[in-house]
Amino acid sequence: MQRRDFLRNIVIASGGITLGGALLAACGGASTSTTVDGLAIGTPEKPIKLPVTTDAIADGLANETGTLEILNWADYLNPESIAIFEKQFGIKVTTSIYDDEAAAIAKLRNGTFKPDLIFGMSATGLAKLIAADILQPLNKSYIPNFGNVIAGLRNPYYDLDSQYTVPYMIYGNGIGYRTDRIDKNAFTSGNGYDLLWDSQYKGKLGVLDAPRDTLAMAMFRAGNFDANTSDPAIIKKAGDDLISLREATNPKVDILAYTELPAGNRDINFTWSGDLFTALQYLPEGVSPSVLGFWYPPKTITTNDFFCITKTAKAPVLAHQLINFLSDTDNALLNREYVGYQPALETITVDLLISSGTIPESLIDALVTPERYDAALSQVTLDPAVDALWLDQWTAFTAG
Amino acid sequence: MPFYAVACVAFGSIDPIFRDAVPRWNPLTWDFSEAKVIFTSLTTGPLQGVAIRTVAYVVCAMLLCFLIGFPVAYFLARHSGKRKLMYLVLIILPFWVNYLMRMLAWVNLLSPSGLFSRFMSIFGVHYNWLDGSPITVILGLVYGYIPFLILPLYATLERLDWRLIDAARDLGANSRQTFRLVTVPMSKAGLVAAGVLIALPMFGDYYTNDLLSRSPNTEMLGNQIDFFLNASTQPQRGALLVLALSIFLLTFMSFYLRSTRQNVRQTTR
Repeated sequence: MQRRDFLRNIVIASGGITLGGALLAACGGASTSTTVDGLAIGTPEKPIKLPVTTDAIADGLANETGTLEILNWADYLNPESIAIFEKQFGIKVTTSIYDDEAAAIAKLRNGTFKPDLIFGMSATGLAKLIAADILQPLNKSYIPNFGNVIAGLRNPYYDLDSQYTVPYMIYGNGIGYRTDRIDKNAFTSGNGYDLLWDSQYKGKLGVLDAPRDTLAMAMFRAGNFDANTSDPAIIKKAGDDLISLREATNPKVDILAYTELPAGNRDINFTWSGDLFTALQYLPEGVSPSVLGFWYPPKTITTNDFFCITKTAKAPVLAHQLINFLSDTDNALLNREYVGYQPALETITVDLLISSGTIPESLIDALVTPERYDAALSQVTLDPAVDALWLDQWTAFTAG
Repeated sequence: MPFYAVACVAFGSIDPIFRDAVPRWNPLTWDFSEAKVIFTSLTTGPLQGVAIRTVAYVVCAMLLCFLIGFPVAYFLARHSGKRKLMYLVLIILPFWVNYLMRMLAWVNLLSPSGLFSRFMSIFGVHYNWLDGSPITVILGLVYGYIPFLILPLYATLERLDWRLIDAARDLGANSRQTFRLVTVPMSKAGLVAAGVLIALPMFGDYYTNDLLSRSPNTEMLGNQIDFFLNASTQPQRGALLVLALSIFLLTFMSFYLRSTRQNVRQTTR
């Protein structure tokens, strides 16, 4: 499974992931968080300060020699970036691949995976990692480039004070489309989401195979902007609306917008903004990048993943160094060229990305700006009973 | 044991923190609440349509497999002569390639700009094979499983006593009567075995639909099992669907076993 499979799964898995209440209570964390099913979690309204059960490494330690072991999604780090880092620090980086966040955490718990540094975990995954006491707190004296991180992410709700995490990539939910088939103004002249219900795109339309994302999209279309609602009527309406979408357009439900839009097999696709950048690599020869466009709804879900270091890391200093390396603007740009997704750095501005020539102007709207992040809607863990309501509606939609 | 393990997951619980399935190994502690949810969904809820569709697709695919596969197996057994080995190799050859790779190749061939679509357009057939069509999924199933029908059928037909067929013709039966009254009854065991062999994996198949359609309008039970087990917070529901499907397929197996037992009795008489 690739990175985008993970994106599909995290929003599913987020239904019910919680932190150990006793552990949090013991550390005073529960008071700033909300509770789900008797256990504490962080939300944007009630951020969480995660419990600390061990000290961060001391300041000024020498870099380790030998090998730095990382755990990452497939194709989620530029090999060229690794080579530069290896040369700079005179070490070797070895990579283990995971294809499912929950499975990776299970393997971290039972010791199958023993990495120093983990890439691409979600807030949901962080809750599990903390509950399993797998991570060590960061010492930011080794990460001076932390200051490059988008301001709104330096103190995230899922990890107040960024004790354990440094943001890696950022992305938002919206609609990718072919500019040669759909006029950009069609999205702004009315309710942009309505295009997904337009039968003229029957057989040429896709939505994300991600229950929380796609049901939330139907809610946003109807003017309900609580992406974590527990209101059965709103959840049911979203399910019914998706069924009407299915009947009108016979949509594909997958995570393949990044290949299907550039190939011309689809006109329009509800998807993640990062997919449009990856799609550039799949454009047939001779096709202009300007055929790809993205509508970033004014109010939509925007989220990020991050780096974290394991408590058992054999090379914790090098792990900090690699985080710092990839949080450098130039290195992040190089990494982005391969990964496609947008680094969560404030220094990587729209102007910089356009002037670097790696992103066409038609995709400016796919970029997550600090303003868009500030206006973002977030998904958090759902109560299991509420999660079941969402899942029931998703089943009703996908069962056809 | 694996079946028992699936039952323990199906009637087990969910870890409140890690959301993993927690099997209950003691049947006395099994929880049947989720089973009721799945049973209701299969009988009157959204999964009812999926179950009916799955049966319909598999029946259509099996009929096509028999319609195409029986003549091929018959030709191989009776008329292929010295080229029998070559024909067999030609049938088997594509299946040395992984199923996934073959389906991905078809995705390319069937895409609007693919070779197959362009070839068909020469004859005026302009059809978007990949727009979530049931026809494409059924043909995908046929393509994927037909060799598993041809080979056991060929093995059965090759062992037929062809003198009986000649005798039927000598006694005045026409081709159709000979086929209906002699060839088919004599190859019944092979037909049943081949049918069971392709029906079982077809019922659980999800990747054919995943690769060739991905439309909710062609969703099969295998896709729902895959979703619940691998991508949802309710893995129990996936295990329950596996159990439901297994119980349904037991009817096939019991028919096959009964048929095999009858054949053994007839042979030993």
